[in-house]
Amino acid sequence: MSDRQLADWRQHALTLEAEVNKVVVGQASPIRLITTAIFARGHVLLEGDVGVGKTTLLRAFTRGIGGGYQRIEGTIDLMPNDLVYHTYLGEDGKPHVSAGPLLMSGENLSVFFFNEINRARPQVHSLLLRVMAERTLSAFNKEHTFPHMIVFADRNQVEREETFEIPSAARDRFMMEIPIIVPNDDTIMSSLMFDTRFHNADALIDTVKADVLQFDQLNGFSSVIQKSVTASPTLEKYALNLWKATRNPTDYGVKVTNVDMSRLVLAGASPRGMSMMLRAARVNAWLNDRTAITPEDIHAVFHATVAHRIVFSPVYEMRRTEIAREMLSNIVNVVAAP
Amino acid sequence: MKKLMRNLLLSMMLSLSTANAYALDVTRLPDVKEGIVSIQTQDPIKDVGYVIGDVVTRHITLTIKKPYVLIEESLPIVDYEKTYRGKPIGVYLSALKHTKKDEGDEVVHQLTLDYQIFTSSVVAKRAAVLAEYVRLLNTESKDREVVKYRVPMWEFVISPLSVFGQIKVEDDMSQFRGPLLMDASKEKTRLKTALVLLVLSLLGLLYIVGKNAWLPRMGGPFAKAYRTIKKQTNTPQGIQEAVSSMHAALNTSAGHSLFTDNLDAFLAKRPAFKAIKSEIQQFFGLSNQVFFEANTKHDVGAEPVAWLKQFCRRCRDCERGLIPDALSPKSKA
Repeated sequence: MSDRQLADWRQHALTLEAEVNKVVVGQASPIRLITTAIFARGHVLLEGDVGVGKTTLLRAFTRGIGGGYQRIEGTIDLMPNDLVYHTYLGEDGKPHVSAGPLLMSGENLSVFFFNEINRARPQVHSLLLRVMAERTLSAFNKEHTFPHMIVFADRNQVEREETFEIPSAARDRFMMEIPIIVPNDDTIMSSLMFDTRFHNADALIDTVKADVLQFDQLNGFSSVIQKSVTASPTLEKYALNLWKATRNPTDYGVKVTNVDMSRLVLAGASPRGMSMMLRAARVNAWLNDRTAITPEDIHAVFHATVAHRIVFSPVYEMRRTEIAREMLSNIVNVVAAP
Repeated sequence: MKKLMRNLLLSMMLSLSTANAYALDVTRLPDVKEGIVSIQTQDPIKDVGYVIGDVVTRHITLTIKKPYVLIEESLPIVDYEKTYRGKPIGVYLSALKHTKKDEGDEVVHQLTLDYQIFTSSVVAKRAAVLAEYVRLLNTESKDREVVKYRVPMWEFVISPLSVFGQIKVEDDMSQFRGPLLMDASKEKTRLKTALVLLVLSLLGLLYIVGKNAWLPRMGGPFAKAYRTIKKQTNTPQGIQEAVSSMHAALNTSAGHSLFTDNLDAFLAKRPAFKAIKSEIQQFFGLSNQVFFEANTKHDVGAEPVAWLKQFCRRCRDCERGLIPDALSPKSKA
């Protein structure tokens, strides 16, 4: 693919970002990260309170990239088969089976949104993890594939009753964990309250330009980005040092307030996690019109791609978000490049 | 008769010559009135231990008020040996230096008298530079009044050249001779060598403690980086070394790894660097080109090392709270 095509796709990506930024205000950073994940073909775990615009955000992206959008709510009685099919009695009085959310859009499924994933049972997590990893599902004696699917899951970190914590192996399948927080800007907050444009989500999403990208070409173009954007030996060394610092922060003099660093980390970032970080960094470089990764590209995706992969001692799990944020910030501060 | 006349004439001549001789005896002249002459003498501080051959120098200042003037012929005669009670005392006047200065109402005479000792003794004996008499003439006196002024004597002690007889040195603890010293030249040489080594060691310690810097503030991160950068050449390797040094200095100064994405936070914390924000961004552009994205272009010119040297100096100025020098046109991108 020529440089011109790379530039054209970049223009489309920036258009998509601009369109989503119009309907979801004050979330420029998460929108850039989701754009990055879409082009890096990685699944995303959204973390945020109820009603902060996660669903609107995803629907806006889905409209921009085209393809099917399916959503399911995580509940304690949700079973794996609920994702695949559901049964009902038809008008003819006979039992019928219809496709569940995963199968409903067939191969055209582009975004699958799992709301409150931590309320679902581990069995459901297990099925979802297979679908995320292999993008295939065996059902009704047939192998179903979802080559264009990206999973967006959401978890509410505040409520913990009747929830099942996502195991580290499951978290590791997500390319990014992106926090969605209410904007601090008074103007934006006021707009969200008083601007009636934001009160009807359906009408709001209809204002997003449809099919800015072709969802069925994203996989192919993602490979082009990964091949086109290079990493210098200095950058590789820098990324390696970052990785080692997540595994042994004490070796690099990393400290976190009120934390015994020798007991904090049980396992650092995984090889899969670091490869995902580099995939995302390449996309970030491309979005910034560069042909090689710089340390700033890694910084742009470092928290989102690494924080959820580090396994902390159970005693520190309750403070995971703040500890991970401080630890990763300090790692960036102590590791030099070059 | 003829013989009588001759004897009479001889007697008269002898009586006249006696009268002349009497008139020249200065000691018989009247003393000058008090207040006409003032004197200052500067004699040697040491008044003992003189031996044959030594020279005693006296400095005498005579201030004579007018109308009296010094009859310079009455000054002591060089090579003249003084006598005491008809016996030579062994002290000769070997040199005389005389200057005078007219100061209106008075004339100041500076006399430097060098007496050389030509006497010796087996035991210590007293000696003296005897008093000198100078004659003064009252120029306003009708009868040409001549008076005398006495320069006081100065006493000292002549010592023998060697000790007479057998003596026990320990019992001869003369305070004028001082203690007998051992030869300490070797020890002095060793002490000097040790002192030199001590000074060198202290300088080395100062250099190490000062983080390889001789002067205060020479150990700053940019000062150290400057010393590294100025050794580099415009080769790829040299530029990499120079950029790395500059990165290290910026990181040390910031207290964390500095990148373009935390540059604003750094400038907020260290406002002194705001003046060179654009150059810091230029530096990161160069660093990107050198280490990460070789096919891009930097905008620091054709000689990156020269630019880095100047940039480093400006950073050093900012670090010291100074206003950085303006960039020279050559180094401007």
